[in-house]
Amino acid sequence: MTYKAIIADDEKELRTYLKSMLVEVWPDLVICGEAKNGKETLAMIESKQPQIVFLDIKMPGLSGMEVARKVTGHCRIVFVTAFDQYAVEAFEREAVDYLLKPVLKDRLLQTVQRLKNILESPAESTRSYSEIVEQVLSRLAGTKHTGFLHWIKVHERDSIRLVSVNEVYYFKAEDKYTILFTRESESLIKKSIKELALELDPCQFWQIHRGTIVNVSRIDRISRSFTGRGIVKLKDRQELLNVSRNYLHLFKQM
Amino acid sequence: MNRELIKNFILFYCIRGPFLHDLLYTIIIWTGIAVFLMATGLRRAHIGTVIVCLSIGLCLFITRRTFFRLFKPRRILSLVAAIVTSIFLGVCLGYLMGGIIFRLLFSAVLKPNLPHVFVFFLVYVSAVTTIFYLKYQLGLSREATEQERIERLSVEKEALESKLRLLQAQIEPHFLFNTLSNTISLIDTDPAKSKSMLGDLVCYLRTSLSRTLPAATTLGQEIDIIKAYLNIQKIRMSERLSFSIDIPYALSNHPLPPMLIQPLVENAVKHGLEPNIDGGKITIKALAAEGLVRIEVTDTGNGFSPCHETGVGIGNVMERIRLLYGEKGRLILEENRPKGVKAVIEIPNDL
Repeated sequence: MTYKAIIADDEKELRTYLKSMLVEVWPDLVICGEAKNGKETLAMIESKQPQIVFLDIKMPGLSGMEVARKVTGHCRIVFVTAFDQYAVEAFEREAVDYLLKPVLKDRLLQTVQRLKNILESPAESTRSYSEIVEQVLSRLAGTKHTGFLHWIKVHERDSIRLVSVNEVYYFKAEDKYTILFTRESESLIKKSIKELALELDPCQFWQIHRGTIVNVSRIDRISRSFTGRGIVKLKDRQELLNVSRNYLHLFKQM
Repeated sequence: MNRELIKNFILFYCIRGPFLHDLLYTIIIWTGIAVFLMATGLRRAHIGTVIVCLSIGLCLFITRRTFFRLFKPRRILSLVAAIVTSIFLGVCLGYLMGGIIFRLLFSAVLKPNLPHVFVFFLVYVSAVTTIFYLKYQLGLSREATEQERIERLSVEKEALESKLRLLQAQIEPHFLFNTLSNTISLIDTDPAKSKSMLGDLVCYLRTSLSRTLPAATTLGQEIDIIKAYLNIQKIRMSERLSFSIDIPYALSNHPLPPMLIQPLVENAVKHGLEPNIDGGKITIKALAAEGLVRIEVTDTGNGFSPCHETGVGIGNVMERIRLLYGEKGRLILEENRPKGVKAVIEIPNDL
């Protein structure tokens, strides 16, 4: 029986190369299509119904992992990656087929042999990838997207400046808006301090007053005034910030 | 020993110090002389004496610089000339001023009076002591803060340098393996392209892997690395990536620490163009304006998503600029119209 396969990779040279290698080690395999992004891959799987997909993990648009999540039924996926530690760990653990770029002949031969064995034994012919995909994606999410605000857009005359939250010293409420203070500048942002408080990483930003959120890493020291209020002194900035009684507990046990 | 001391004193007196400093010393010394004269009975205990002495001092203060310049190599001669002139001028001026002021103000001459001199002497001594004490304290605390600042800066610098070294070592493995895959793929189909890609990779690795960054590199050299990097990415992404580099010839020799712009370009490719199906364009421009050099890296990619973590690269570039140029340099990130990111580095123009 001859099998059909498609190759999905955003880099043309790498598709060509994998194709030439496959022709060499598995002459019977029919490469019925090449896709250069996630969407194309899904469409091609739908239309050509291949038994095997060589799927690059990192592709523009839909990533390889997101494609894999949508693949169901009788299509076997061979993940291809240049370097993704988490993914490779997960593949090893779950005994999923994968190839590392640059693809080497011996390794490809092994994979091909495995694929042949699996495809020829009818009992093992279906497999769902959603579980492993979730695993890998959640691991990747942990390192990249924390969901908290990292960039703040500041309107400046005719342009929009991007300020990294790491640069921010503190936020101060100003009516419905908020003023953002960095080392040497201050800018108005069209967001209330309440909204900001929900979007900022609470480990990095502490609300110390109804109208003040401070970047913890910019605090130089905190002292008590005669009346028992807390006063925060910042590094490199002169002004002192008041800590209201409700938030004083943040500084306890330090 | 004694000669040495006198010589040092003359040197000290002749060589120009800060203006207010000198004035203060002049007043202290000449008031002291007046008190000494009054206390020893050589002069009458009279405010007039103080005024005369002070005017001699002030004349000396003014003339000695002129005389010093006049008799440049002969310090002692210049000082003697200055003193003689000053005494003459000062006495005239002092009597004139003292006379006018005291006739007008008090319309009476103070009687010679020993307790007066004594009190005056006490006030004088305590004032001088206070001034010197304050100065000493001020100097101490200033020294301490300066010391603290230097320590903090050196610690910061060290931390940054080690961080930088770490960053250098952390060359993106994805990039490396992908590039190598491409060169392997191209060896059979297009050996010439494969060769040039390897050449570019070598050029890129040479800088990014070197543990000790050369201290003084130029904008031109940085652009060479960026070109190598973009050439590699161009082969990988083919029509999805286009770029243009426009650096005026005059600016290519401008000193610039290495790997200051490259992270911005890498960022533009990695976060702007690679995730975008249609890719985009990167434009690198440099221009000299009003005493500073402006380097712009613009991409038409996906732009910043508000939740995407700040790269170590960008933070590192900001920190390095702050440390190297202080207030005079900065990195600005802007949204590019209609899409993408514009990163602008401004540094002082040193050419």
